Amino acid sequence: MRKRLLWLGTVLLACLSLFTFFSTKTQAAEKTYTIGTDITYAPFDFQDSNGHYTGIDIDLIKAIAKEEGFKVKLKPVGFNAAVQAVEANQMDGVIAGMTITNARKQQFDFSDPYYYAGEVMAVKQGSSIKSLEDLRGKKVALKVGTLGASYANSIKKKYGFTTTEFDQSNDMYNDVTSGNSAAAFEDYPVMAYGIRNGMKMKIVTKPKAGGSYGFAVKKGENQELLTKFNTGLSHLKKNGQYDKIVAKYLGKSAQAKEKKAATGNDGLLSLVKQNKSSLLSGLGQTLYLTFISIILATILGVIVGLMQVMPVKWVNWLSSIIIYIFRGMPLLVLALFIYIGVPNLTGSKISAFVAGIITLTLNEGAYTAAFVSGGIKAVDPGQMEAARSLGLPYGKAMRRVILPQGVKIMVPSFINQFIITLKDTSILSVIGILELTQTGKIIIARNLQGFKVWTIIAIMYIVIITLLTWLSKFVERRIND
Amino acid sequence: MSEQNLKVDVTDLIKDYGNNHVLKGLNLQVKNNEVVCMIGPSGSGKSTFLRCLNKLEDPTAGRIVIDGHDISNKNTNMNHVREKIGMVFQHFNLFPNLTVLDNITLAPIELKKMTKQQAEATAHDLLKNVGLDEKATAYPASLSGGQEQRVAIARALEMQPDIMLFDEPTSALDPEMVGDVLDVMKNLAKQGMTMIVVTHEMGFAKEVADRVVFMADGHIMEEGRPADLFDHPQNPRTQDFLRKVLNA
Ligand SMILES: Nc1ncnc2c1ncn2[C@@H]1O[C@H](COP(=O)(O)OP(=O)(O)OP(=O)(O)O)[C@@H](O)[C@H]1O
Ligand SMILES: [Mg+2]
Repeated sequence: MRKRLLWLGTVLLACLSLFTFFSTKTQAAEKTYTIGTDITYAPFDFQDSNGHYTGIDIDLIKAIAKEEGFKVKLKPVGFNAAVQAVEANQMDGVIAGMTITNARKQQFDFSDPYYYAGEVMAVKQGSSIKSLEDLRGKKVALKVGTLGASYANSIKKKYGFTTTEFDQSNDMYNDVTSGNSAAAFEDYPVMAYGIRNGMKMKIVTKPKAGGSYGFAVKKGENQELLTKFNTGLSHLKKNGQYDKIVAKYLGKSAQAKEKKAATGNDGLLSLVKQNKSSLLSGLGQTLYLTFISIILATILGVIVGLMQVMPVKWVNWLSSIIIYIFRGMPLLVLALFIYIGVPNLTGSKISAFVAGIITLTLNEGAYTAAFVSGGIKAVDPGQMEAARSLGLPYGKAMRRVILPQGVKIMVPSFINQFIITLKDTSILSVIGILELTQTGKIIIARNLQGFKVWTIIAIMYIVIITLLTWLSKFVERRIND
Repeated sequence: MSEQNLKVDVTDLIKDYGNNHVLKGLNLQVKNNEVVCMIGPSGSGKSTFLRCLNKLEDPTAGRIVIDGHDISNKNTNMNHVREKIGMVFQHFNLFPNLTVLDNITLAPIELKKMTKQQAEATAHDLLKNVGLDEKATAYPASLSGGQEQRVAIARALEMQPDIMLFDEPTSALDPEMVGDVLDVMKNLAKQGMTMIVVTHEMGFAKEVADRVVFMADGHIMEEGRPADLFDHPQNPRTQDFLRKVLNA
């Protein structure tokens, strides 16, 4: 009994130290600042056809860093993930076409404004809608948390329209071009850039209710960085570099460059070819996440599953609680809680990748624990009694008699769980991990060919799931022989 | 009767499952080389009693001493005591994932009582004794019930126990298989094994038992030599029970 507890304690301790090892690994930062950016917000933040992150925001922060002599580590994770990461001290600052508002000033300190952008309304090309008045009874597409969204929400009563909100700009545009929504509200430069690059929409109102974009840090933190940004910005404005950067994306000459990538007429194969390296690296991340999570979740699941059947009451309880919590919590919530919430509580950063692994391990591990204990309980209790009556201690009886029989019962559930784990990695795109799904979102943000890109991504998932299933069946046959 | 000579010494054994009082203060002593058969109606607590003897069930109260080890004492190493108590179950409980030979040698090898070679040599001897050596490499699923039960007995004997407990070893068997198993048990008794046998086989009890114990309602109602108990039962409950089973 004492030995068993000691063993259990050692395992828990090992898990804990692994956790802290990962969490401290990312802490070292000298003069390098970690800055979060959006990924689907051209011309401010987007990926060019070579797979590089670019845009006004990106060029600006790089130029300022050079001017002021600090280093930046850019984290293209998407607007929401970036903002939340700064709030959670996971990142030092965010530059993501973020409008300065009073509400946001409660949580963030903003730099001097670096760009003024008014809100415009855009509709599908050929649409008969010409003004706000035409929106009565119609649906309007918005992007979560943008100034365009709050502007539209503030006037929707007056003009009598309803709204749906999207996480990605591209989903919002698609909703309009597909005819689902009548119009979208967006910052003028963003909308203008998209249309110039082949998006089949047109702007029908003058920029209004505009706001200014600012670079943001968490309130009261990183003031030094903020000062550097402001000094750098004013230098760039004076020496003309600022205008050059803006002109690069919004000037007349900018139009041609991205046009080719966004004609919307590429075949599937040529799309695959164009995006080969991003797709492969996304696939790699997905496989890597899956592989590590499957291993860790299986270890955790077997331990917690065994705890569930051990003849010690409080250990059963502990196991039940672990299963209850982590099986009950939606994966999305768990991922955000671990990535955003835990650093807020403990004060130490975790990389998105590690947060993702922990999330999957806990969630998939809880499911695994449930069917592991189920498999063990499905073995005739007479087996344990016969083994114990021969003098075998509990652990030996479990290992030599019960588990070999239980594992056979569990194998189909394991295979099932491996496939679920693989699919669940896609949810981790919310915390900005560049796995396959997130890669898809980014490619679409650039080329606006949602249907084709999702087809490619779906096929890739099916292929690896098929391979994983074959592999599992092969192992299953080996076990059953 | 000297304390030394006692293999089993049970005093005031009580076992409750919540409000269900199953054993209500049992006393039983079994001497070395003695064969005790327990009979009684279904639900009277025979299995529960047997399972308390090797602590597959935790007694609620009372004292149980096996071969000088007080197993009601929490500090007694139960695994060691169990090595010396062989148990044979109604449903055999062979390990389906192991061959007949591995079923028998698993415990002695795992517990480092014997080398693999020793364990297998002993196992083959035991299998010969129960007439099943040709089944050594077979898996339990391919055996008949009677064969399984004889392997189960061999498995228990491999640990060289001082006491053997049998819980209705033949009641899950087809009638034509019963004889083989009972023969093995008779042989064991002849060799001087201390045995407690819960059984419905009155013929076996008459022939082999040194003493028959009649249980009902969680009490030992009556005990005595087979001739006395079967032919001149004193307790009305015993009389009633015997009338029913013998005329069935
Ligand atoms: N694990 C348990 N939980 C609750 N009650 C139990 C448990 N095991 C046995 N009992 C109860 O204890 C009583 C005695 O059962 P036991 O199996 O010892 O009887 P038995 O004399 O062996 O009967 P049979 O001849 O049918 O085998 C029964 O009423 C049974 O319902
Ligand atoms: Mg019984």
